[in-house]
Amino acid sequence: MTATALYLSPDATLPYCRGCGHALVVRQLSRALEHLGLPPRSVVLTTDIGCVGLADSLFPYLHTVHTTHGRSTAFATGMALADAVLEPHGLKPIVMIGDGGAMIGLLHLVHAAQLNVDVTVLVHNNFLFGMTGGQHSALSPLNWVTATTPDGNWTPPLDLVALLRTAHASFLARQFATSQELATTIADAIDFPGFSLVEIVELCPAYGARWNQASGAALEEIVERQGYTVGEVEAEMERPTFRELYHHKLQSLRSQAPVAEVPRIHSPANLDGELWLVVAGTAGERVQSAASALCRAALAAGIYSTQKNDNPVTQGSGFSLSEISLSPQPIEYTGLECPDVVLVVSADGWEELRANGTLAACGEKTLLLLDSQIDATPAAGRVVRLPLRREANPKRAALAAIAAWLEKEPLLPMEAWEAVLAAEPPERRAESAAALDIGRRLAAEGVAQA
Amino acid sequence: MLAEGALAAGCRFFAGYPITPASEVYEVMMRELPARGGLALSAPDEISSLCYCVGASLRGLKALTATSGPGWALMIETVQYALMTETPVVVALVQRLGPSTGGATQGAQGDVWLAEFSTSGGYTLPVFSPSNAAECFELAVHAFNWSERLRTPVVLLSDKEVGMTSEVVDDAALQVPALANRKGATPHADYTPYALDEPDGVPAFAAVGGEIKVTATGSAHDQRGRLRKNSPEVIEVLLHLERKIAAHAEEMALVRADLDPEARCLLISYGVTARAARQAVGKLRSEGSRISFLQIQSLFPIPQRWLERATRGVEFVFVAEENLTGQYRAALAPFLSRQQVYGINKIGSLISPKEIARKMQGVMA
Repeated sequence: MTATALYLSPDATLPYCRGCGHALVVRQLSRALEHLGLPPRSVVLTTDIGCVGLADSLFPYLHTVHTTHGRSTAFATGMALADAVLEPHGLKPIVMIGDGGAMIGLLHLVHAAQLNVDVTVLVHNNFLFGMTGGQHSALSPLNWVTATTPDGNWTPPLDLVALLRTAHASFLARQFATSQELATTIADAIDFPGFSLVEIVELCPAYGARWNQASGAALEEIVERQGYTVGEVEAEMERPTFRELYHHKLQSLRSQAPVAEVPRIHSPANLDGELWLVVAGTAGERVQSAASALCRAALAAGIYSTQKNDNPVTQGSGFSLSEISLSPQPIEYTGLECPDVVLVVSADGWEELRANGTLAACGEKTLLLLDSQIDATPAAGRVVRLPLRREANPKRAALAAIAAWLEKEPLLPMEAWEAVLAAEPPERRAESAAALDIGRRLAAEGVAQA
Repeated sequence: MLAEGALAAGCRFFAGYPITPASEVYEVMMRELPARGGLALSAPDEISSLCYCVGASLRGLKALTATSGPGWALMIETVQYALMTETPVVVALVQRLGPSTGGATQGAQGDVWLAEFSTSGGYTLPVFSPSNAAECFELAVHAFNWSERLRTPVVLLSDKEVGMTSEVVDDAALQVPALANRKGATPHADYTPYALDEPDGVPAFAAVGGEIKVTATGSAHDQRGRLRKNSPEVIEVLLHLERKIAAHAEEMALVRADLDPEARCLLISYGVTARAARQAVGKLRSEGSRISFLQIQSLFPIPQRWLERATRGVEFVFVAEENLTGQYRAALAPFLSRQQVYGINKIGSLISPKEIARKMQGVMA
């Protein structure tokens, strides 16, 4: 088999209109592959929708993936990304896409350029949508007559090459389909180890040439008028490829220490059925992390838990709350009906519980443990007020509130908290232990009981 | 746990885009996958996410993405592409309150139709729906297994309440199936990418970049992957896409059945509402009612034999789900033609065990 036969079949009947640039591109692509001597099975031709999508069957030995409109670059990027973590690797995805596809899939071009994946994109820019009847595209020149701009295009054309430069594309080129240099440019693009794009300027004989009385010379004029550079515009070899960056990153990831697990303790918890608890406060004051510590302590003592957090859209302002259920059995329904315990450590938390109906759902048996600064009173429930914010400071108030509650209703053995503290990072441990101590002390002293 | 299940299933590629309530899966994969030799990546949108996954799968890796309703809407074209090209991929669809951007932090089971009936032509997309963290793990493995075995996209239909509630899981109690991988093609001269004559109905897979030439296309094609129009073989290939799923439908069935042979009443539920339903059944039984309960984990293909078994002698069927019009109930209706079928529906918050019990008692009184 000759080298040529490995790529474009010599006897292939090209399915394009007479005079279409696409025919020139497939021939030059074949020459480029031949020049590079790439094994056919290391190349995947990823074609878009449009007349460009007819290229698959012309290359019988290359992998071919015919995709959806505009997405060819994204599929090719996926293949290149996967290839970057495989051994052996070295897949060369080549995307064949039109100007219409380039615009609808612009995001994929931008991201592939940013990633610097080893993908080569050949944009067949014939200034319109050919297959669907010659409609205007984002790359149509000014005054260009198309099926949808019969009086001429009045929106300025997108300079794809300039745009992708700002997306850090490493290799960018523009050539006429008729250029003698095209095969070399394509070969350089494919050979380039990162992202490369060649915008190939051509005419659609069915629509573009006919409606605009345009010939090859008109193309040069258009390119000049638009201030476009022809030839290799950008070839920055120094930028690391995606594969290089990812493998570099992997080195640092593998050295990370695993998260410490909370050990099981042997003292049993004092809990017969399901218990529902709400802890509410202000965002940024470790309300949800205190709730999570309680669930870990419960887990250490063999108790099942569920925890649901809520906060406003902004995450870092307004209220923050957690709804927790604890049970010696696996928990089914996780909706809060009548809470057994409500811990509120700030006015933000109180307001939210009022707004979301939790306070109204409290029963006579509900224990409400509130920071002393909250002077409102719920319709039902046993209220205890403690100076949590003042004594423990706002960021430790939620954990102190949990400790105060457990001091009054001792469900979990002390060892459970010791297990939780032992698994905390050292810089947090002392602070958490202090919050727990303060909570217990306040509850024991029964300060400012209502 | 869904992410952990995917990792246990052999997932080596993830591409994601932030969206509540699916971002947890995204974050876990970004943290865990690279450390386990895979690749996790932030995509610039949901269309890219799924295209990257399909591309990676074509290259041979098991791939996952996670999103919610608005992101799924953008992915549908690519889901169809995966179906047509017979490319395995798993999408975790973590539902939230819709329509549109709706309530990002509110749960819902409103994307059942959107998930299942998203293909032009009405092809069956396997859909698994976990009700808790442990099932997220288990069903993630099942989802990958079936996606690989059948070479088809599979949806893991979770929701905010399941996905964003932390809960304790007993690792030792997890029921994890053996892992399945796509059947690889052996290199020979006449490899047929969309062969119709395989004994299991599923063509052997060849990875892009491997020794065997791959021809993949989302356009109507013959067995060799050639674009053809008005060809009976193309229609056969299209029919095969559905046949391969139908042929394995019963094998795919996953339910948690708690049937009472004397029951005249059957409660069906799935996803997060199955938890309230199970509790409601316990309560009603403790009061003397005879009730059967069927939690369906494999929503599609519909587990018909289980439905037949569960409805034996049953006059009343209740379907509890957190959406407006009873999406799954409507899908089940053709199989429940001999029973009186009632929906227990709600939007905006969880359906409670009390609400389920009250509705059932009201009908049966």
